[in-house]
Amino acid sequence: MLVIRPVELTDLPQLQRLAHDSLIGVTSLPDNAERLHERIVDSCNSFDQDVRSPGGQNYFFVLQDLTNQHLAGCSEILATAGFDEPFHSLRNRHFTSASRELNIEHGVPALSLCHDLNGHTLLRGFHIDAPLVRSPASELLSRARLMFIAAHPQRFAQAVITEIVGYSDAEGRSPFWDAVGKHFFDLPYAEAERLCGLESRTFLAELMPQYPIYVPMLPQPAQDCIGRIHPDGQDAFDILEREGFETNSYIDLFDGGPTLHARLADIRSIAQSKVNTVLRNDSIDARGRYLVSNESLKGFRAIVAELDYHAGQPVSLDGEMCAALKVTDGSLVRVIAL
Amino acid sequence: MIVRPARITDLAALLTLARQAVPVLAALPADEERLAHRLRWTQRAFAGQIERADADYLFVLEDDDQQVVGISALTGAIGLREPWYNYRVGMTVRSSPDLGIQRQIPTLFLNNEMTGQSEVRSLFLRPDQRRGSNGRLLSLGRLLFVAEFAELFGEKLIAELRGRADEQGCSPFWDSLGRHFFKMDFNHAHQLSRLGSKASIAELMPRQPLYTCLLTEQAQAVIGKAHPNTEPAMKILTDEGFTHEGYVDIFDAGPVIEAPLARIRSVRDSQALVLAIGTPDDHAPVWLIHNRRLENCRITTAPAKRVGNSLMVDRLTAKRLQLQPGDSVRAVPLLCHQARAVAA
Repeated sequence: MLVIRPVELTDLPQLQRLAHDSLIGVTSLPDNAERLHERIVDSCNSFDQDVRSPGGQNYFFVLQDLTNQHLAGCSEILATAGFDEPFHSLRNRHFTSASRELNIEHGVPALSLCHDLNGHTLLRGFHIDAPLVRSPASELLSRARLMFIAAHPQRFAQAVITEIVGYSDAEGRSPFWDAVGKHFFDLPYAEAERLCGLESRTFLAELMPQYPIYVPMLPQPAQDCIGRIHPDGQDAFDILEREGFETNSYIDLFDGGPTLHARLADIRSIAQSKVNTVLRNDSIDARGRYLVSNESLKGFRAIVAELDYHAGQPVSLDGEMCAALKVTDGSLVRVIAL
Repeated sequence: MIVRPARITDLAALLTLARQAVPVLAALPADEERLAHRLRWTQRAFAGQIERADADYLFVLEDDDQQVVGISALTGAIGLREPWYNYRVGMTVRSSPDLGIQRQIPTLFLNNEMTGQSEVRSLFLRPDQRRGSNGRLLSLGRLLFVAEFAELFGEKLIAELRGRADEQGCSPFWDSLGRHFFKMDFNHAHQLSRLGSKASIAELMPRQPLYTCLLTEQAQAVIGKAHPNTEPAMKILTDEGFTHEGYVDIFDAGPVIEAPLARIRSVRDSQALVLAIGTPDDHAPVWLIHNRRLENCRITTAPAKRVGNSLMVDRLTAKRLQLQPGDSVRAVPLLCHQARAVAA
């Protein structure tokens, strides 16, 4: 059985493997032992903190196979984007070009650097082993974060965003980067993404274009990258889109990948999940698949389970499920259909 | 040959000239009504009846048979009635000490910094007359006029030179920039601009600075580059002290060259002298001579000999200038020293 739980220090060696395998552009997962260690410590502290309103906490989760202890994926929630340093994005809006005398008025899309998304809760660092892409495990890894937010809303903002990895080719070249970022950063795309995971991000603000970039002036391949998803980011995108997330006018400044946005009240796993007591039952006549999580903080667990579930009634779980979730008869669990 | 103010009676001759000039010089409208309007306007300017902001001094080059063979113009001031836009090619530096990265990015800044200056423009010389000192007389005559009547002009003279374009008249700079904001081709925009809608067109341009690195390479390559056809005209002005200080046209990125009045050779070196009639010797240098009149302005070139504060010219030259011996003239050698040295 696969379970989601908060990261622990002993996970470091396995996390290094995951970081090494992760897609360029999943910048929150640095392929660097020291930084990963810091990230784990930071997450442990975040789970330990008594939080009344969201701050700089980062909650780091891993997906573990309980049969062999193998880590098959990881994902994160940053409580407040832009809390420690500004969260940069490019806003794609129309510049209106108008002349009354010539009777001309039209909009020219322009990309402007902004910090509009500061203050939102950010989902990031989503990575799963290739064989599990588009499986229930992938849903679990992504949506368990939403279940966690539902259980601890005071720790998060009223709206959640995430950046989906933008298009780059098999050689790791991003046409958007080549047309925009390269001029300002003087670095290859992959190197820039690596630096984002590694160093302080102050270099972003130091080097990024301060004036608008007019979209029609960009080469066509770069224009085509605006809002375009990397094929390997499609799974992450689809899961959240089904959850009620929508694209907006913000894109990633490196690769042009889209940003997804949703208010807590509009997110399916938050708004529609139900909390009820556990009823231990070792002979479940399963009728459907569900995501189930406990309501703990440091002891948070979430699994995919086949249940005979009826809204408003206690949730029957078998022994293995109870063990995975670390719950017993009478504990509270949160349930939503997969 | 003389340079004199254009008059309404030149209408027919100028229309013929304008038709020859098309498409080289859309500045001289081949439209009778518009041209007549401009001629009446320029007559009032030379009569001192027009404010500097609206003054348009149109000169013609006329041969001894009273045939008009060329045209040039001066404006009292640009940008005082409607905004005058240029780009300044400046620099933006982005630097990250931690990463050891520093980027110097040429950037176009939209500005109105030429407001209130005076513009030399609309130079056209009939192709069969492009010889001898005709081009210099037509171009520099204006500068001598400015020297005489400096109070009618701004602190600087500027000239907008046509930018690079392909054989179809398409500008790579326009294609990479302006086109996206106007949704029209360069020739159409150019035409609108010449018809007086330049400020309206400029209103469509983004106000924020533009990084040149986001333009196409072809567009970047023509910033500040004059069209080969304008090079002779540009050479005459740069010899006079005009320089390119980084201002370019917002449509085709052609260079805007400029000079403070005091730094223009014909203005700085010109002097008031007393006209004398005689026979300058064969080696006498050629002078550019102005009769110091506004409405009856006449400017010509002639071999002349300077003795003290008098300038000796032949009888025909005096006749061209409509002056008598003892009258005052403003004069300057036609060629600057450097050019003379090269010519020798």
